[in-house]
Amino acid sequence: MSAPAVLKTPKKVRSRLAGISPWLVFQVAWRAILGNPLRSVLTTLGVIIGVAAVVALTMVGRGSTANITRTLQSLGTNLLTIGSAAGPRGGGFGLVRFGGPQTVTLADAEAIRLEFEGRIVGIAPTLQGNQQIKVGAANMNATVIGTWPDYASVRNAQPAQGSFFSEADLQARRRVAVIGYGIAQDLFGGQDPIGQTLRIAGLSFTVVGVLPDKGDSGFASPNYQVMVPLSTYLQRLARSSTGEPRVNAIYIQGPDKDSLPQLQEALTEFMAARRKMTDPSQYDFSVQNQADALASVNQVTQTMTLFLGGVAGISLLVGGIGIMNIMLVSVTERTREIGIRKALGAKPRDILTQFLVESVVLSVGGGILGIFLGLALAGSVGQFLRITPIFDPFSVVLAFVFSVAVGVFFGYYPAARAARLDPVESLRYE
Amino acid sequence: MTVVALEGIRKVYKSGALEFEALKGISLEIRQGEMVALMGPSGSGKTTLMQIIGLLDRPTQGTYHLAGQDVTTLSENQRAEVRNQEIGFVFQAFHLLPRLNVLENVEVPMIYAGVPAEERRQRAMEVLQKVGLGDKWRNLPSQLSGGQKQRVAVARALSMRPSILLADEPTGNLDSKTAAEVMRLFQELNDEGTCVIVVTHEHDIADYCGRIVRIRDGQIEADGPNPGRKRAVGGLA
Repeated sequence: MSAPAVLKTPKKVRSRLAGISPWLVFQVAWRAILGNPLRSVLTTLGVIIGVAAVVALTMVGRGSTANITRTLQSLGTNLLTIGSAAGPRGGGFGLVRFGGPQTVTLADAEAIRLEFEGRIVGIAPTLQGNQQIKVGAANMNATVIGTWPDYASVRNAQPAQGSFFSEADLQARRRVAVIGYGIAQDLFGGQDPIGQTLRIAGLSFTVVGVLPDKGDSGFASPNYQVMVPLSTYLQRLARSSTGEPRVNAIYIQGPDKDSLPQLQEALTEFMAARRKMTDPSQYDFSVQNQADALASVNQVTQTMTLFLGGVAGISLLVGGIGIMNIMLVSVTERTREIGIRKALGAKPRDILTQFLVESVVLSVGGGILGIFLGLALAGSVGQFLRITPIFDPFSVVLAFVFSVAVGVFFGYYPAARAARLDPVESLRYE
Repeated sequence: MTVVALEGIRKVYKSGALEFEALKGISLEIRQGEMVALMGPSGSGKTTLMQIIGLLDRPTQGTYHLAGQDVTTLSENQRAEVRNQEIGFVFQAFHLLPRLNVLENVEVPMIYAGVPAEERRQRAMEVLQKVGLGDKWRNLPSQLSGGQKQRVAVARALSMRPSILLADEPTGNLDSKTAAEVMRLFQELNDEGTCVIVVTHEHDIADYCGRIVRIRDGQIEADGPNPGRKRAVGGLA
């Protein structure tokens, strides 16, 4: 018989360096996953939920940070705020202190106005309280703020209709009011409120100005505020008190951003001198820069990011254990397949790669599903909280990288177990 | 040319303190172009011998040369490579991969050998036509009859052009008519020069082979040509 037709054509020359194409390995893994779709989805649920939570929460978090920042900036630029501090007891939190004893006085504001004439753009002390306001039969509760005319520029509150009350109104203690957009809409309906009468705590005020729509920032919305002259407020609306009239806060606008720190320092010294205080820890007031408030918002954001990282880590860990569990089951179920592949020439490394790729495809698939779920979640949560979520590419990339890492880490042990299986034993496995 | 050369092969299984000697010193030579039956009752050690010849298992003692190469002391990876290149397995339970279609099943050994996709496909189709299943390449194993499955397994075994075709009870799950067809296929391949080793306990099946090696209690009891060899009648079904 002549040389066999099928036998001994060149084959030893073939290099195994070429290896198995990654695409082929991926296809095998993909088929194994699709072979049991429900189980695959349940397996990756941990990763899906973890990644979705991170993506959604980061987006909503960034959205709300941006919202707060925007609100703070809309309340005036180059702004310094003098508020009451608790002094030795500490607890100065936020820009303005409403509870507890008020220690900043109207006299402080007047002294600053004289002393800092020319170095500041505007100054506006405020005293505020919730009052019932009425127009005809319609009534509502609103924040009424007694202040000075500079409030318009200092707090970025220029009326869209009419004008802010004047220095003359302040001097004469006139009963005039500037109202927020929301109040104009709710109490006056479609009518022009300018010149109309508004009753605050039973007293009639004439509306002289309406602020533009400041957007609904959730808390302390300028849309539901009423501004009246501080003198009028003190005479008519403030709870009767003896001694020097006190205010909640004094807002001061600096000429530009760069001069704020110096101005802040000068104001602190001035206030301390007025009180004859020397020890900063004993100060019963605080002078805060708007930048400080932004910094504290940023700090909250950072804390939240760390917290989210923890949540992500834990859920990915749980997800990874889920994947490892199902991969171990899968290796056991496919013992025979492993035996067959080994008999046909698969090296341990080939089997290892196959199962490792399968687990990575599972976890990455979960990661991708999680990203989409997170985007959807961010959209609906944002709508619910009236926040525009901000897409954060970094968190998406991080979630993706983490899910790959989880797949490799938790897939390695089952894959190594598969690779070590004895071909004789596994071929016999039923 | 000698394809398989076994010299003093012993295999001892240990289970705790118990030892069981499955092969008690087997020496055997199989030459190219032979069609050999390894016969013996269950428990005789013929399956262990088949696993050692197929490099699925290692002997406890003795040397094994396959196609001139000493394969006794190869590493796990090298053994996988030799299995891939030199040995074509056909199993009793077919052992096709259920999720892959016929063509893909035949391609598996070539995948592990790193054969490029196009050549792989072409060679798989060639061997499928050879076993008469060229038109079934799209089917899944579950859509085939037992005889067809075994022919796919034969095609898969042939795809790497191995030195030996190693068939372990290849007709054990088939009815006698289909069994005869599969044995005729082996005879055809043997006529073309492929070395075929069939492990069986059935005389009917062993009778298709030109040489019969009888194993009993881990030793070769008899080894010689088969005078009453059955010849295939007609071509493939």
